[in-house]
Amino acid sequence: MAQFLQVLLSGLATGSIYALAAVGFSLVWQAAQAVNFAQGEFVMLPAFLVLIGEHWLHWPLWAALLFGFALSILLLGLAFKRLIVQPFGPDGGLPLVIATMALSILLKEAVKTFYGAEAEPFPSLIPNGDFHIGGAVISVRDVLNLAAALAVVMLLTLFLDRTKTGRQMQAAAQNPGVAEILGIDVARMTLYAFLLNAALAAVASFLITPVYLAKFSNGESLGLVAFIAAIIGGFNRIRGALVGGLLIGVLDNLTATYVTLSYRAALPLVLLIAVILWRPQGLLGDAEARIV
Amino acid sequence: MLELSDIRAGYADVQILNGVDLALRPATITTVIGPNGAGKSTLFKAIFGLIRVRSGRVRFGTEDITNEKPARLLARGIAYVPQGRNVVPRLSVRHNLELGAVTLADQSRVGERIEAVMDRFPALRQHQARKAGDLSGGQQKQLEIARALLLEPKLLLIDEPSIGLSPNLVRDVFKVLQGLRDAGVTVLMVEQNAKAALAISDDGLVLELGRARMHAPATQLLADPAVGRLFLGAAIEG
Ligand SMILES: Nc1ncnc2c1ncn2[C@@H]1O[C@H](COP(=O)(O)OP(=O)(O)OP(=O)(O)O)[C@@H](O)[C@H]1O
Ligand SMILES: [Mg+2]
Repeated sequence: MAQFLQVLLSGLATGSIYALAAVGFSLVWQAAQAVNFAQGEFVMLPAFLVLIGEHWLHWPLWAALLFGFALSILLLGLAFKRLIVQPFGPDGGLPLVIATMALSILLKEAVKTFYGAEAEPFPSLIPNGDFHIGGAVISVRDVLNLAAALAVVMLLTLFLDRTKTGRQMQAAAQNPGVAEILGIDVARMTLYAFLLNAALAAVASFLITPVYLAKFSNGESLGLVAFIAAIIGGFNRIRGALVGGLLIGVLDNLTATYVTLSYRAALPLVLLIAVILWRPQGLLGDAEARIV
Repeated sequence: MLELSDIRAGYADVQILNGVDLALRPATITTVIGPNGAGKSTLFKAIFGLIRVRSGRVRFGTEDITNEKPARLLARGIAYVPQGRNVVPRLSVRHNLELGAVTLADQSRVGERIEAVMDRFPALRQHQARKAGDLSGGQQKQLEIARALLLEPKLLLIDEPSIGLSPNLVRDVFKVLQGLRDAGVTVLMVEQNAKAALAISDDGLVLELGRARMHAPATQLLADPAVGRLFLGAAIEG
């Protein structure tokens, strides 16, 4: 029981990072019909931007974090939209998919070239330590990572549902033609979605990198997991992507502990197939919303 | 009011409107009729800045509004209800209405405007918390019209409002349009249900092959045997 609790919680903690990436992925998909296959690298890169601030510019951690965050939003938000997505037009299709795949390789290779292939330690904002509850040893980091990620997603959904700008973003995503005739600045709303995705990726990066260390290859499986989490949750639902991310994190940890380590990488794919067979609209999606 | 001179517009390398001339009299309803694909919806899109007017002029009052963007046109007092379904499906009815006012300069007045349009469409008040996508087709159309009225437009462009509505609802929608006209709003409408639409209209316009073929008082079009044979017969059955 104690072990189960431990495994469950660390699964949720990992899953919450997947969820951040998946939610951002879904935002960009909804706003621009762009499938971002560089999403994993979007989570890998911000940590390195912080390291640049720390090691090259010799800034204190807080300044380096701010620098990394701001630069992430600029590069992974604004520049990504303007330079990669926009040139392919409103319906980027397959060429855009290929462009994001190329971007993923470019980001990986660039980091490897400029920063090396070795894993770099990354400063943690959270003290190491454990809670002991009953017989279970629960890491402080897991709890705080989970809490932080959930808080971020909650704030995001509050913003989208409760503010006028958030609802204009929803309108621009759900029905851009209608948004336009109502005088909503659709291009700006789309940009906001890209900026939010970059912010989510940066937060995910800052939370996860202290655990795995900063490495150019960190995004490799993460991007695929984010993609699958977004699909199994219901491709066009923020809450769906959250649930999808958490679910993959938990199942991943449970199978690794209780079944086998060897098929771990296949698990998200198995989940994906199961969802496509039994609930093609996704766990939280509804069939009607796909038509609209 | 609205004045079009020699409007040409289309999509990519196809030109659909081949020089449309039209002047609307203020506080009237004008119905545009014409065969499928004649360019009726295209005309509205060109007026409302959704596709580029390649040549010719659109004037509103004394001002040239050719190729102005929707946000600007809304601020001038022009509203547009396109053909088909045009709600934001996963937002509530109330939030859909509120989106009709994003261009309103004085945002503190949005609440009272919403109340005013809901007075006109009681069904919307009743369903204001529901998701717009869950409403019936008729209610969605009411929502779209209400949303367009939120800014108290001087000119309403409305494209095929009766599609998918029961005869009762069509009558209700037409009554709303007549009420607007009586309050001084100018209405330009496209309608398949040509006979019924002309019956409540002041003027009619026959659009064919991207040109205004005939622009005359509605009674005259209704009495015209050629118009009747070509455009009114089939429309009533459908
Ligand atoms: N987005 C578009 N791209 C290319 N061609 C289009 C587009 N929209 C309409 N057309 C073409 O332009 C022509 C006129 O279309 P339009 O929608 O204006 O006709 P309409 O008179 O409104 O017909 P309907 O009675 O069917 O609504 C048609 O031949 C149509 O196929
Ligand atoms: Mg049409």
